[in-house]
Amino acid sequence: MISRVADHCFWLGRYIERAESTARLLQVTRTLAFDAELPPLYCWRPLVIVSGQYPDLAEELGVDAVGNGETVQRYMTWAPDNPVSIRNSIRAAREGARSIREVIGHDIWEAANELFLWFMSEGAAAQYLNDRDEVYRNIRRSTQLCLGLMRSTMMHDEPMDFLWLGVMIERVGQTARTLDMHHHIRGAAEGQQQTLLQAALWLSLLRACSGFEAYMRKQQGRVSGESVIAFLLFENRFPRSLRYCLRSALGLAKRLPSPGSRGITDARKRLDALDHWLDGQEKAGVQLSEHALLTHVVDEIGAACGELQGGLEGEEPVAAPQSEAAQ
Amino acid sequence: MLIDQTQTAARAAPPTILDGYRALPGTYDELVEAAGTTRQHAQMVASLLANMSADSFARCQALAELSLAQRGVTFSVYSDERGTEKVMPVCLVPRVIGAAEWARLEKGLVQRLTTLQLFLDDLYGEQKALRDKAVPADLLLGSKHYLPQLRGMKPPGGVRIHIAGIDLIRSPDGVLRVLEDNLRTPSGVSYVIENRLITKRVFPAAMDRIGVRRVDDYPTQLVEKLRSVSPEDPERSTIVVLTPGPFNSAYFEHSFLARSMGIELVEASDLFVSGDEVFVRTTLGPRRVHVIYRRTDDAYIDPEFFRPDSMLGVPGLMRAWAAGKVTLANAPGNGVADDKAIYPFVPDLVRYFLGEEPILDQVDTKVCARKADLSYVLEHLDQLVVKAVDEAGGYGMLMGPTASAAELDMFRDRIIADPRRYIAQHRIELSTCPTWVAEERRIEPRRIDLRPFVLTGKQGSWVLPGGLTRVALRAGSYVVNSSQGGGSKDTWVQAQADGTS
Repeated sequence: MISRVADHCFWLGRYIERAESTARLLQVTRTLAFDAELPPLYCWRPLVIVSGQYPDLAEELGVDAVGNGETVQRYMTWAPDNPVSIRNSIRAAREGARSIREVIGHDIWEAANELFLWFMSEGAAAQYLNDRDEVYRNIRRSTQLCLGLMRSTMMHDEPMDFLWLGVMIERVGQTARTLDMHHHIRGAAEGQQQTLLQAALWLSLLRACSGFEAYMRKQQGRVSGESVIAFLLFENRFPRSLRYCLRSALGLAKRLPSPGSRGITDARKRLDALDHWLDGQEKAGVQLSEHALLTHVVDEIGAACGELQGGLEGEEPVAAPQSEAAQ
Repeated sequence: MLIDQTQTAARAAPPTILDGYRALPGTYDELVEAAGTTRQHAQMVASLLANMSADSFARCQALAELSLAQRGVTFSVYSDERGTEKVMPVCLVPRVIGAAEWARLEKGLVQRLTTLQLFLDDLYGEQKALRDKAVPADLLLGSKHYLPQLRGMKPPGGVRIHIAGIDLIRSPDGVLRVLEDNLRTPSGVSYVIENRLITKRVFPAAMDRIGVRRVDDYPTQLVEKLRSVSPEDPERSTIVVLTPGPFNSAYFEHSFLARSMGIELVEASDLFVSGDEVFVRTTLGPRRVHVIYRRTDDAYIDPEFFRPDSMLGVPGLMRAWAAGKVTLANAPGNGVADDKAIYPFVPDLVRYFLGEEPILDQVDTKVCARKADLSYVLEHLDQLVVKAVDEAGGYGMLMGPTASAAELDMFRDRIIADPRRYIAQHRIELSTCPTWVAEERRIEPRRIDLRPFVLTGKQGSWVLPGGLTRVALRAGSYVVNSSQGGGSKDTWVQAQADGTS
C-alpha cells in the first residue's frame, strides 16, 4: 500500500471521528448549560480548553467570549481559522476521501461529499439558526454513516486498518479530553455541593461519550462518580472507553506491516506501554482527580501519532531493498 | 426507413421528437441525408427516436443526468470555492458509425500511428527524414515540443505512443478528416465508458438489435499494453497511474482508470529514484515500479531534467527512463509529432516511412512558412481560420469569417512578422448529429467531432471501437469543449456491415 494513501486513510478516519465527536460534545454541552444551573462560563470554558483552542479564542475574541455559549458554538462549528472546527474536519475529510477515492470506494466518497455539500449549503446555515440540535444530529448521523460504510463496504485489509486506527486513535483522545473537560467543570462547581447538580454532571459526561444507556444498563441505574470514571476508563466492552479504544488501536497497529518503517514500530511500542500503564492505574485505584492520568494519555497518543506519521512520510531509504539488480 | 410526416399526421399519432428534423443546409448530418431520408446504418436509431415522445425522452434524459451525478462523473471547476465538480453534460441520442466506415477508419488510424511512431524514432535517432527533406528541418527543430536533449535515447519497450487520441471531424462531403493528433496525455476515455453504462440502461433493446461493439474492455486492453512494454518480466511488473493530484481537472479520469485497471494511483511525491530505478513508497517499504502511465506534462515529470526551478515531478525519473529501467507512457518528447506545424506534413510522412498512400484524409492546411501559402493566406484572410502553432485551446487563433477589420489587420501584421508561427485552414462546417435540446423539448442538429483512442503495446495497436463524440450544445456553435458549453454522446459502432442480425 502506498504510504501517502495509508496516511490519507489514517487522517480520513481521524477527521470523520473528530467531526462526530465535536458535534456530540457541543450538543451535550448545550443541554448541560440549559439544565445544570451552572454559570455558562463553567460549561463552555472547559470545552474550549480541552480542544486546545483556549489561547487562540481568548486572544481573538477576549477572555469573556470563552464563556459565551453562542460564541463558542460558532467558533467550534464554523470558524475557518479554528483548526478543530467541525467545518475544517468535514472539509478535510472530504478532501481526503476525494484523493483516495479509488481505495475507499464510491459509497464512502459519496457520503463524505454529501455531508460536505450539505454543511456548506444555505440550508445548513439556516438550520443552525432555527434548529441547532438538528444540525449536530445531522453531522453525527452522516459521519456515522461514513464509519458504517467503511466497515461494511471496504475490504478488511490494510487501508481499512489505517482508517480504523485513525478512528480509534482520535477516539482515545476525544474520550480523554471529554473526561478532562468534566474534571474542569466539577472543579469549578465545587462550591456548589448539591447532590442533584453532581448527578447531572455525571450523566452529562456519560452522554458526551455516548455512554449513558450502556452505563445505566451495566449499573442498573446506580450513578456514582467512581463508577462513571471507571466505566469510561476501563470498561473494555464499551467502544468509547479509553481501554477499548487503546486496545483496538494497539491490535490494528500490531497488524500493520513494519519492515519498511521504524516509525510504525515505535508507535506500536508506545501504545503497548500505554496499555500496560493503564492496567497499572486500574490496579492501583485511580483517584477521582484524574487530570494527570488524562494528560498522560493525551500526550502519549500524540507522540504515537507523530511516530506513525514520521514512519509513513518515510525516511529516504539508503539502499533499495527490493531491487532486482541488487539480488 | 423514411420519416414520413404526412403519414404520421394522417394517422394522428402523437408527435414524436424527430418530427420535422432536417439537416442544416451545407452540412453533413449523421442521421439523415439532405433529402430527409435516414442513412442506412442509422435506421435503428431513427426508429428508436421516432417511437419516443418528448415526455418519455425527457424522462430518460433526466435519469441519465441523475445517474452521472450520483456516480460522480465529473470534471473539476477550479474557480469554485466550494471545490465542487461539474457533471459532464451528456446527450442520450447516440452517434452511430457504420461497420464498413469504421473498419476503414481503424486501418487509417493504425497507419497514422505507425507513421508517427516511426517519425519520432527517426527524429530522436538518425534524423534520416530531415536529411531526405521529407519535412522541413527548420520547422521541426524550431518546435518548442522538440526536446533535443532526448536524442539518442530509446524508450524501454520500444513504444512511444502508447495512448493516442486522434480528433476527427466530418466535412460536408461526408469525409472524416483528422483535425488534430493528441500524442501526449489525451483524456476523455472515462466518459466513453460511463456514457455507455447509461445508454445500456436506457436503450437496452435498441443496442441489442443494432449490435453495438463493446467499449468496456478499454481498461483491460490498456493495462495489458502497458504491461507488455515493461523493461522487466511483464508478469512481475508494477504498473502505476501518475496523477498531478485531486485538483487537476481530469482527476476523475485518473482515479477511474486506476480503479478499473486495479493498479495504484500515485502522485509524484510517492515516487523516488535510487540507482536509476524508480520506487514507490509503500507501507512495506520501497517497491520497484516498472511502468508509469503518467497523466502529467513533460515539463513536470522530472525537475532535474526539464525545469530546475520546479519542485514538481520526480527527480531522476528521466535518468531512469534513459537507463531503460522504467517505461513512461506516453514517452517524453511526443509533443513534436502532434505540433500544429508538423500536422500538414503527416500525409507526406506516411508516404515516406511506409511507402503507402494515407488512408485518412485531413484538413487542407496552409503553412505560412511556405512562400506560396503565405501569399494565399494574406489574400484570403477573411475566409480562413488562422492558428498559432505553439498555442492550444483556442488561444492565438483568428476566425477570419467572423473577425473585425481591426483583428484581421492585427493578424496580418503578426503573420508577416513571423510567418513560421502560423498555419491556416478554411473553416469546416462540422457534421451534425440529432441532439436533445431541453429548453425546446425536441431534437435539433448540433455540431460534433470524434476522438477515437488507439492503444499500442509490443504486439501492436488496438483501436477502441467508438471513442468520444463531443457535441456543441449551443445552436450555431462550433465549440465542443466541455469547458465552453460542450457535451458528449455515446458513439455506437455497428458490429455488422448490413446492420441487421
